[in-house]
Amino acid sequence: MFYYILKKEFLLIIRNLHALIVLFVMPTVFIIIMTLALQNTYANKYDVKLSVLLSSETPSLALESFVQTLNSNTFFTFTFTQTTPVVEEALYHQKYDFVLTLSNDFTEKLGKSRDVSMALFSRSDISYQQVAFLKQFLSAKLSEMVIGNLLKMQGIKTQNALNFEEIISNTYVLKDKNTTTVTSVQHSVPSWLIFSMFFILIPISNTFINEKNFGTIDKIRSINVSLSTMMMGKFIPYFVMNQLQVFGMILVGMYLIPLLGGDSLVINGSIFLLMLVSFVVSIAAISFALTIATLSNSSEMATILGGTSNIILAAIGGIMVPKVVMPKFMQDVSEISPMSWALDCFLDIIVKGGSFGDIQFNVMKLLLFALLFFTLACLMLNYRRN
Amino acid sequence: MAIHIKNLIKKYKNTIVLDHLDLTIKEGSIFGLLGPNGAGKTTLVSILNFLVSKDFGEVQILGYDSDKNEKEIKARSSLVPQSYAFYPTLSAFENLEFFGALYGLTGKVLHTKIDHCLALTSLEKYREARAETFSGGLKRRLNIAIGLLNSPQILYLDEPTVGIDPQSRSYILSVIKNINQIEGTTIVYTSHYMEEIEYLCDDIAILDQGKIVFHETKETINAHSNIAKIHLSDTSTQEVNLQSNYDALVDTFCDIKQKSLHVKEIELPKNNLENIFMSITKKELRD
Repeated sequence: MFYYILKKEFLLIIRNLHALIVLFVMPTVFIIIMTLALQNTYANKYDVKLSVLLSSETPSLALESFVQTLNSNTFFTFTFTQTTPVVEEALYHQKYDFVLTLSNDFTEKLGKSRDVSMALFSRSDISYQQVAFLKQFLSAKLSEMVIGNLLKMQGIKTQNALNFEEIISNTYVLKDKNTTTVTSVQHSVPSWLIFSMFFILIPISNTFINEKNFGTIDKIRSINVSLSTMMMGKFIPYFVMNQLQVFGMILVGMYLIPLLGGDSLVINGSIFLLMLVSFVVSIAAISFALTIATLSNSSEMATILGGTSNIILAAIGGIMVPKVVMPKFMQDVSEISPMSWALDCFLDIIVKGGSFGDIQFNVMKLLLFALLFFTLACLMLNYRRN
Repeated sequence: MAIHIKNLIKKYKNTIVLDHLDLTIKEGSIFGLLGPNGAGKTTLVSILNFLVSKDFGEVQILGYDSDKNEKEIKARSSLVPQSYAFYPTLSAFENLEFFGALYGLTGKVLHTKIDHCLALTSLEKYREARAETFSGGLKRRLNIAIGLLNSPQILYLDEPTVGIDPQSRSYILSVIKNINQIEGTTIVYTSHYMEEIEYLCDDIAILDQGKIVFHETKETINAHSNIAKIHLSDTSTQEVNLQSNYDALVDTFCDIKQKSLHVKEIELPKNNLENIFMSITKKELRD
């Protein structure tokens, strides 16, 4: 009997084009877009530099050399102009991100007189962090120049001696394996995979609601079939679909993203732990979906109830915006989302190469979540049966 | 007896849906259950199929007590709901395969049974077509085919001809008659269509406000439905039974003529099922 129940459920899923699009096409598109969009956030250089229009009415060789120094970085492009620019014109018509105006004889007076200043003007859509970063960068370069001049006066060779940035290296450290750098694909694949795994509620609720509305469920109930058989008959096919999603999205990360110019997905941790996490996430997602499906009386209600709750859980769970960029308060809030627990598990394995000990707490929380919602679904079904 | 119900009570909150209902349905009969909307027909069929629990009363089905033998009764009966109780995106065969498996059929037995049910409902050539492409009539036939998979001793048909064309309806009625005659299946048939019940059923009951208010065999109804009354000029009345043929009517007219009497009025039989139904359930509109 069970074989035919599974066969029926699989046929219903594979003939539901909308569900297949939600389960497979949506996460693929999201992974591609978000991986490529977040590439700069995780990389050590930007391919789109912030542009700065630097103006001074008193050009000099020293200033020319200073501008050259400023341009030897990977985040900003400095363009020099001798005329005083109209700031609004430069920012909004010439599309500069910043305008930097130096006081007269800036390089000559620097370190010798208090009569020096730099006026920075930023476009309104530039973030505070970017302004702070530019100010720090300028401050470092000015210090470098002042100290360099002092040392030169003392007859001390300064070449490379002041570029402290070069002597500070950074290495991402894994627990017990070879070292790699974190890439955007390592965040995008698990994030959008989890999101789409929870969207299993669309086909589950469609099938459930159709069974209710078409009277199929009454027919089934008039036959000697236990609730547990029917629940397992629903659980297993969707569990398999979830695992196919995991497999498919990992392949997308490994092979499709590099073809589009992104980094290839590298899994630093154990494949078995990855499988364990994907099993647990799937159980949690299906249990949640079964509850939504049992609660809903129409496909519209399921889509609104399930879709909205999924999007909210994803938004607060660090799926849409990485938790690292969230403020402390929002990071604390994210802890209530099962998607956040799932994401932490996946990131622990994929990025940090973590062990079972690292994920066990979140795995436990996901299993409890699954147990709670599965019990709720069974109780509601049983209540309706009686 | 196929079904024996005694003192059945079902309430939904404060509304009594089935009110001390007593009913007996003979084995091998086609039992027609009529009733206005909200009379309790669907609730009764749902209780008999374990979809709704009763509050009080005894229900015996095929000699089994429904309180103790749910499994045995379910194995021997089958429900064809009013709605299309199948999966639209599956083919007729795939639907039958799934429901057959739920009845515990497997392998060759299952496939033989599917072929038999497809043949009984003349769906052989639609075997591989998806149910969503079927017309209303084909969908009704598939619904019935699914109901026949477990070779039920009792088949419940809840308004199985709603929303289909007259040709399909006529075909479905003949299929149901065949199932009763060939397989010996007891049919419990609920409908709003009086003519269907009159044509199909040999045992007819009317359910109103949770009670069986009328229960007779078709023979008894017909016997009372065929008396014509002839009112004569001498104020006397002659009754003529039209059940077998109209010869009796001709003889009566000859007799009247011989007596040189005149016919003042002829009252034709009015006691058909619709009149019985309307006189019992009254004419007020039901919700």
